[in-house]
Order: sequence, then structure tokens, then C-alpha cells
Amino acid sequence: MTLHRNCDGTTRRDCIQLGIGGLLGGGLVNLLRARGESAAAPSGPQPTADRVILIWMDGGPTHFETFDPKPDAPAEYRGEFSYVRTSVPGVLYSEHMTRLAGLLGECAMIRSIRHNQGNHGAGNHYMMTGAPPRIPVGCGAYVSFHPSMGAVVARERGPDNGLPAYFSMPSMTRSGGPNFLGARYAPFVVPDDPNSESFRVRDVALPRALAGARFDRRTRLREQIDRMVRLNSEAAGDPVATFDQYHEQGYNLVTSPEAQKAFDISREPQDVRDRYGRNSFGQRCLLARRLVEAGVPFVTINDGGWDHHRELFPALRKRLPAWDNTVATLICDLKERGLLERTLVVAMGEFGRTPRISTLPDATLPGRDHWANAMSVLMAGGGTPGGTVVGATDRKGYAAVDRVLSPENLVSTIYFKMGIDPGKVLYTPQGRPTHLVSDPTPIRELI
Amino acid sequence: MEIDFQNDVVPILTRQGCNQGACHGKARGQGGFQLSLLGFDADFDFDAITKQARGRRVFPAAADRSLLLAKPAGRIPHGGGLRLPADSAEYAVIRNWIRQGMPRRAPEAPALEAVSVTPDSVVLAWGQQQALRVTARYDDGSTRDVTHLALFQSNEAPIAAVDESGLLTAGSITGSTAVMARFMGRIAVCDVLIPRPEPVPDEEYDRLPVRNFIDELVWQRLKQLHITPSERCSDFVFLRRVTIDLCGRIPTPEEVDAFLTDDRPDKRARLVDRLLDEPDFADHWAGKWMDLLRPNPYRVGIKAVLNYDHWIRRRFHERMPWDQFVRELIGARGSTFRNGAVTLYRDRRTPEEITTLVSQLFLGVRLECARCHHHPFEKWGQDDFYHFAAYFGRIGRKGTGLSPPISGSEEFIFTGTAGRVTHPVTGQVMEPRPLWGTLPEPGDRDPRDVLADWITSPDNPLFAQVMANRVWADLMGRGLVEPVDDFRATNPATNQPLLEALGRHFRDVGFSLAELIRTITASHVYQLSSLPNERNLADTRNYSRHYRHRLRAEVLLDAVTAVTGVPRRFDAMPPGATAKQIWTHRTPSLFLDTFGRPDANQDPPCERTKDLAVVQTLHLMNSEQIIRDIHDDASTAARLAASDRDAAGVARDLYRRIYARNPTEEETALVAEVLNAPDVSRREAIEDLMWAMINTPEFIFQD
Repeated sequence: MTLHRNCDGTTRRDCIQLGIGGLLGGGLVNLLRARGESAAAPSGPQPTADRVILIWMDGGPTHFETFDPKPDAPAEYRGEFSYVRTSVPGVLYSEHMTRLAGLLGECAMIRSIRHNQGNHGAGNHYMMTGAPPRIPVGCGAYVSFHPSMGAVVARERGPDNGLPAYFSMPSMTRSGGPNFLGARYAPFVVPDDPNSESFRVRDVALPRALAGARFDRRTRLREQIDRMVRLNSEAAGDPVATFDQYHEQGYNLVTSPEAQKAFDISREPQDVRDRYGRNSFGQRCLLARRLVEAGVPFVTINDGGWDHHRELFPALRKRLPAWDNTVATLICDLKERGLLERTLVVAMGEFGRTPRISTLPDATLPGRDHWANAMSVLMAGGGTPGGTVVGATDRKGYAAVDRVLSPENLVSTIYFKMGIDPGKVLYTPQGRPTHLVSDPTPIRELI
Repeated sequence: MEIDFQNDVVPILTRQGCNQGACHGKARGQGGFQLSLLGFDADFDFDAITKQARGRRVFPAAADRSLLLAKPAGRIPHGGGLRLPADSAEYAVIRNWIRQGMPRRAPEAPALEAVSVTPDSVVLAWGQQQALRVTARYDDGSTRDVTHLALFQSNEAPIAAVDESGLLTAGSITGSTAVMARFMGRIAVCDVLIPRPEPVPDEEYDRLPVRNFIDELVWQRLKQLHITPSERCSDFVFLRRVTIDLCGRIPTPEEVDAFLTDDRPDKRARLVDRLLDEPDFADHWAGKWMDLLRPNPYRVGIKAVLNYDHWIRRRFHERMPWDQFVRELIGARGSTFRNGAVTLYRDRRTPEEITTLVSQLFLGVRLECARCHHHPFEKWGQDDFYHFAAYFGRIGRKGTGLSPPISGSEEFIFTGTAGRVTHPVTGQVMEPRPLWGTLPEPGDRDPRDVLADWITSPDNPLFAQVMANRVWADLMGRGLVEPVDDFRATNPATNQPLLEALGRHFRDVGFSLAELIRTITASHVYQLSSLPNERNLADTRNYSRHYRHRLRAEVLLDAVTAVTGVPRRFDAMPPGATAKQIWTHRTPSLFLDTFGRPDANQDPPCERTKDLAVVQTLHLMNSEQIIRDIHDDASTAARLAASDRDAAGVARDLYRRIYARNPTEEETALVAEVLNAPDVSRREAIEDLMWAMINTPEFIFQD
């Protein structure tokens, strides 16, 4: 801790030494990590986004029934859904994505990301961190070998106002953790349902039992009781002094009407709440908008249940219209508020789904299975050129064939937009240098 | 003069940073040009320079047009910028080498034998400077001043910075650091000591109490630094500190009362004896090792993790000597359903993975780098790594391997007769060989047992020192070596004699964790106050005062529970279980997540960070669960409110329960005032007090 404080500013030589510095390990590692941060800052890309809302479609959403329909393919590929025309001539979405189809002018659609991790655990890790899992990973596994995008953004870009910098709702995604960056960059999980009447953002909103005078009374009391001597010199490295700063930040957050407004979804006009959809997903997207509005740089909505091995069509007939409506509302709402320009919205999952429809032996209705050779990723805002369609899959949706891209490219793009150099070197607590993304090439069409 | 590639050219490339990890030294090179990391492989570098890129890198006929010179001299665009000005001596050396036809070896070029730095230890005043000189010694007996080719690095630049010419400049912070000089993969270290400017009369040190060798060695160090220690801490501070440190819990009000009224002179030692016999002691210390060993249940299966936990925990409850624990773990064989220890080998499935784990945990040697390349700041190379890995080459597995996410089946770990480890580059079959010293061939014995005997041998000082350092770090707030598992010449201990003495002591008490802890807690040093004097405020390394730390997640949660009196229920745990007894990080707990237990998904498991964060203060302040517990009808607050205690009695109970001390008169008056306030019920007042106290650092920190 002392080291960090004493190391203000980074000299040119320090930067040059970073390469060998990483080998030092020892107590220096943290110092180096701190330097690594400042060393990269001047060379980092110019940010075009300050906030990210990541809609994580856990389970692996089908590309056919969402953004990449294949109306000309044989029925066993095409499926039961028809298509809609988007606002970009010649580009089709699946039939339930009606509102988003009309919004393609504000969005980019990437159809050619592919990788080779066909199970949930590994696919989650790859898409969420930009790093393939280091060892074979099982399907249902929850693994973390590398920091997730949210944790990296929390470390590099925030928080600037005492708010937790990385929110995840209603749970952390499988590989959404900070890994070696440390617990400080773990997501702040909001498990409760904002669609419920009694919803509050845990911990940042005052518990009901403490409303009003009682909290003030307690706060005053705490001040009177607190007698522990502080070592008020930076050189002393007193963790209690650091604790005080955080306590004050927390207190300000809880007592600041502006901050509290951000968490209080009930202040949202009824019609806005209705527009987002009166369901958990809809209200989470609305809350995400409120959070980015308040300055939170990374919000993940862990939107599960896309693993449609069976009953694909009835399930999606039910789900997609509301989903389409919510995501479209989010994008429009951000735009109306002037936030879309600096807020990047991304919707994706760990992979796409098999081209050929099949019925599992114990199922009655067909579905599609895991398929990492093709998937669709939706992006909007944060300097993303609207109306962009990147890449394409083949006629039957088997594989990305045009402008084939990797999870590394995608994750690099998100970092790049956030002003984070995807090629920067991070130091593990072991002192080992590791690249943030091993192939730091962003997708140029999206910049 | 005949230029030698290895002795003359490679050092220039290293010094200029060409072959560092961020540039041409990384595994995929830079701009198509790859050099070995920091010049460890001269043959590789020679080929890269003279044979690749169709020879464009070197032109003997027109040396200046060689890419090797034109780029770093700035004549052709170079991503790395200007590195070798055309008028520099280094440029001239490389040009001459190219003109001489790029010899791999100059005739009779001697081989480098050793590197030394002078002085190798120095005491500097604030702001004082000292030039370092680096000398290379060759096998023909010659020496050479290579200061201008060496790279320098200070472990703590604020204490003493070093520039590229080897000039040391002391800062204005009292302390010590190591400054390293590197030349051609060899390292020499200069120890720098910066005492406080004003000397302290010897008598002050002579007067200090010495309870055991720890005090003696710490006082010696403080004397060198002109620092004097803080006062001895008060009884209530000691009680809370040692109860938290040893048993991971806060003292009960009854314990506080008994200890503070005890007037026997040896009451602190008696307290330690009692705590060391508690089951909480075993759970608390086992938890630290579970952090380091516990695999992801989605990977190895929940049953294997549970069995592993039981295996580790039971050994701490049995107070098993540490050497025996390590021997049993390394030599583990049998079924994952019957012997929890084999989970280690279910989780770590290749000799390479086992090697990095075993060497780091039990020897403090980080070999991970050496798996792929020579360890840049250490002596370890790939040979060392794979010889060591060969001890794990014959591990056999039978039954059902990993089948995540359930991985529920049984697997057997045994030692087969076949199986070998080969060097990834040379393909050579590696004989088992320890990292230092010699060992006979395993013969009929399980190679793992042979290795375990070597690791845990009383003659291996590192084994005892690494564990002693961990224990010291847990009790003192900072390891003599930090990080606690990174022992190497370039990361010296802040007090080497003390580290060695602790290691010897740990060995001499039969590797008994409890005895080591008894000795440390008996020292005067352990019992120092955290409050500084005018001389030691800035000391954060030499134990002249106690270093505060926040309670570990489980300890803090159990402390909150002890205060509210409302037990928490944990998934997969019997009622009444404490957070310390939780056997998997899969057990959901917002509190534990907030205060930093390891992410259950993370691989490999690692040391916890002591990070503080705003989410922690927010959770204590606003957690609905904590508020509910405080306000619960069965809570301590409700019971106190229902009692007939007067204000002084309530104050005493709260202060003893939460802070482990008696309230001062002033504090009692405050409590009385709160209890007598109009409009607030007695119960509400007590709830408010409890909430307020839980949110103060006196509760959250160990002082």
C-alpha cells in the first residue's frame, strides 16, 4: 500500500523497464502492476465509450431464430420461424426481432465470430474474457483463468464517484470474476428482482428499517463511539485510514439524493417501466440504464436460459417478442437521453446453435445444440457505426465464412472503445506478465 | 579486438531492452524478429540474427545497412524507437562484429562464471549516493568491469533508487531494500540500508526486554535502522489480537472479564496455551491451507472436495506435525472416495502442474516461469523444472477421470512402474532430480516418497522457513519475505537472521505449528502496540510496532454472528456451523463474497488479497441481513433490552462483546445518554449502539 502511494508518477525509464520489471516478482509486483497501469495510459486508445451494458445470453442463443435467419435453407435448417426485413436493405432478422430489425440503423450486427469451445464452461470463459480456457473445461463448469471484461473495466476505468464499478444482475456470470485482479474488482451482484414491488439495490440503498432519522442517529452515534487512533501519515500504511475513505464514500453514496435516485427504480415513470417490459429482464435493463446514467462503467445482465436443446420454437415464440422489445427500448431510451453515444450495449452469449434441427431421444419437440462455429453478436452505441453488418455465415448457417473473427477480436473491440489498450501487459500476483488479450486487434468496422 | 557474440553482443541487446518480454523476447517475437527472453539462449539469438529474414538483418559488406543496426539507430522506422545511436560505443561493437563476419564465438572467448556487485551491502544516509560496480569473472580467471552493460533494478525505489549507470540514490525513508544487478542471466544483489538520520544511544536497546530469540533479532535490526519499538500493548488489545490470530474469533464477554481481572503475571502465556487447544484453532489454520489447496468442485467433483477438506481439517485438529502432513499429501494414493489427499492428483493431472504447486507451496520456489523458459530473475531453467517434474512421472490413475461439471465418480491414484517426463525442447527423458543437493535413485521406492523426504528433511532449511514465514506473516501482519511463497536471492527477507532462526526453531520443535505460534506470541515483539512513537511511524517492514489488519472474511462474519447472537445458516452445513467450517466456496454467502473469499471458479487457487473496498463498508452499513439479525427478537440487543441491566451494565456487555474491553467512564455516560433519550425505546437504542459499533474500525480490524 505504501509502495503505491510513494510511487507517484512514472518516469520514462520506468516504462522502459517494465518489460524486465515484470520479472521481478516480489513485493514489487504490485508496484509494477500499478506502473503498468500508468505506463499504458498515454498510449491507450482514445475512448469512444464510457459505459458498457452487457446482456449476457447464457446458454448460447441460437443465431437462426435471432439475427441470422436462413430462409433459403432446407426446412430442417431453416426452422419454424420466418424472417423480417431490417432497416438495412438486404439484411434479415428472424421474425420475432421486429423492433430491433427497425433499429439496425443504430446498431451493428456481427455474424462471423467463431471459436472452438463447444461447451458452456469454456465458451463462457472465452467470450467473457477474450482468453480461451487454459485446460480442457467441462460443459457445466464455472471457470476463471483470466479477468473478465467487467473486472478489467472496473480496474482501468472506474469508479469515479464511489459507486461500485462493475455490477452484475442477478448473479455473476460463470467467468465474470476478477481472477488475479483481486476481489476489489469482483462484480457487485444485485440478486433481487427489480420487477418486485419491494426491490432495492442491496447495500447501496438504506434498508427500510433504517429510513430517515434512525440512520442519521446511528451515523452520529458511530462518530461518537469511534475512538480508534488513526495513524494519519501515508508512510504508516494504516489500513484503518484507507477504511475511513471507503466508509466516507459509502456514506456519501447512501446519503446522496442523486445516487439514491439512480438505484430507486420506482422513481421511473410507469410508462417507461411498461415500455421496458414488466418482467425481471425488462426491469433489469431499465436499472442498468439508471446505473450507467449514474456513472457505473460496466453492467452485466446475466440473462440465462438460452440453451434450447429442446422445445426451441415454443420457448422462443414466448420469449423473443418481449426480449426484442426490451433491448430495443433500452437502445432507444439511451439514445433519447443522449447516452447512447457514450454507452456501448452488447448482447451475446457463449456460442450459437447447430444448423440442423434435432430432437433429443427423451424430448418430444426439437431444438438445436451447441455450435461455436457461428454466432451473432449485437452491438449498439459507444461510437459503433450504425447499420453495420460484419461478416456472414454460409447458406445453412454452419460457419462464419466471411470476415471470420475471434472472441479476441470482439473483446479487444470492447476494450478499445473503452480506451483500454487490449495489448497491454498485466502482471499476475506471481509476477508473470500476461497480455490482456493475446490478439489485440479490434474489429475495425466497429470503431 | 575479436568480438564474441555471447560475451559482447548479447549483453548489448539485453541492456537496450531488445530481448525483454514486452518486445522481441516474447514468445511470438515482435515484427517477425524473435530473440530468447533476456538473452538466455545465445544459439537461438545467433540463428535469429544471422540466418533468418533471408540474412537481411546483417550485411557484412555494408554493416551499417544491417537491419540489426539501421532500425535501432533510427535510420529505418523502428517500433521500439531509437535504441542504439550510431555514434555510441555499443553501436560500434555490433558493427565491428558484423564486419568481422559475425563469428558465433571468438577464438578462446572465455565463458562467464560469476557476476558480483561492489559494494554488496551499503548503509546510506538520506539522499546519499553510491555508485555500484558490476564485475564479471570468466573461466580463464579474467575479470571485466561490465557496469555499463548491466541492468539495475531496485526492489523499492522510494527507499533507494538506482539509475541505468548503477548510481544508487537513497530516498528519505528509513528502511532497507535490495538492488539487483543483472548481467547475462546472472544476478548480484546489493543490500541497502537507510537508517534514520538521528542515532539512538545503545542503552535504549540494552533496556529492551528479551523474551526469546525473536526479540533479540528484531532489536538488532531496529538498532541498525535507529528505530525504537512501540510500547507493549495493553491486556485487552492482546486478548483480542491473539484470540483472532489463533482461533479466528473474537473473545466472549466472559473471557474478557476473566482475562482482565486475572492478575497472574503469566496470564498471557496461559491464554495462548488455552487457545492453542481449541477446535477453533484447527479450523482457522486449516482454512488458510484450504484456500491454497481447494480445487473447483465443478472440476474434480463435490465429493472429492469434501473429502479433501475433511482430510486437511482432521490433520489440523490432530495437530499433525507439518512435515508429516506434507509427506502424506505428496505421497497420497488410493481412492478419491476414501483418501481425501489424492484430490490433489485428481485436480493436478500432469507432472508439470504438480511441480509448480508443490515447489511453490512447500519450498517457496516459483518454478512456473521455468516451465517454458529460463526463470528471468532466478537460477531455475527448464532442466531443473523437468528433473523435478520427473518425480511425478509415474503417477497412475484408474477409474473415472474428470467429467465436469459433476465429476462424481471414483478415481484411484497410484504409482505405476512406467511413466516418464521428457524435456519439451530436447525430448530427453528426464531423471528425477531435486532442485538442489543430490538424492539417490528412487529404485523400488515411490519417487514421490523420495521427493517428499527430501522436501521435508530437517536438513532442508527452506521447507521450515517457508512455513515459518507464512505463520509469521499471519501473526505479524507482514511476512519476512513477501509474497510469502516467493523465496529467492533477489527478494531477500527483511530480517534474514530472524527468518533462519524461525526456520531452525520450527524444525527443532518437530514442525509443530502450535509450538511455533506459542514462541512467536510469547515474544515481546508480538505484543507490541500498533501505536507508533516518534521514531517508528514509517516502519512497515521491521516489526517495531504491530501492523493492523482487517479481519478475514470468515472471521468477520463469525464475529458479526457472535455479536448479534443470531446464527447464520449455511448451505451444506449443519445448524450452528461457523463460517470457518465451510468446506466449499460454492456455499452462497454475500458477506463472504464481499469481504473477499476466493472466487470458487478461479484456477489456480491463490492467496487472498487484503483489499479494502467500498462494497465492504456498504455491506456492514446497509446489509438487510445484518440489520435483520440485529433487530431479531432473539438477538443480543433484544435480550439486553429485556434484561434489568442499568446503563453501565449494558455498556459493559456491548463493549466487552464487540470490542473485547471495558467501556471508559465517558463511554458509559454516552451509552446512558442514548438509553435515556426520549422517543427512542430501550431496544432501539441498544440496536443503534450495536449497529454503530459494528461499523467502527475497532470492530473490523485486529489492532
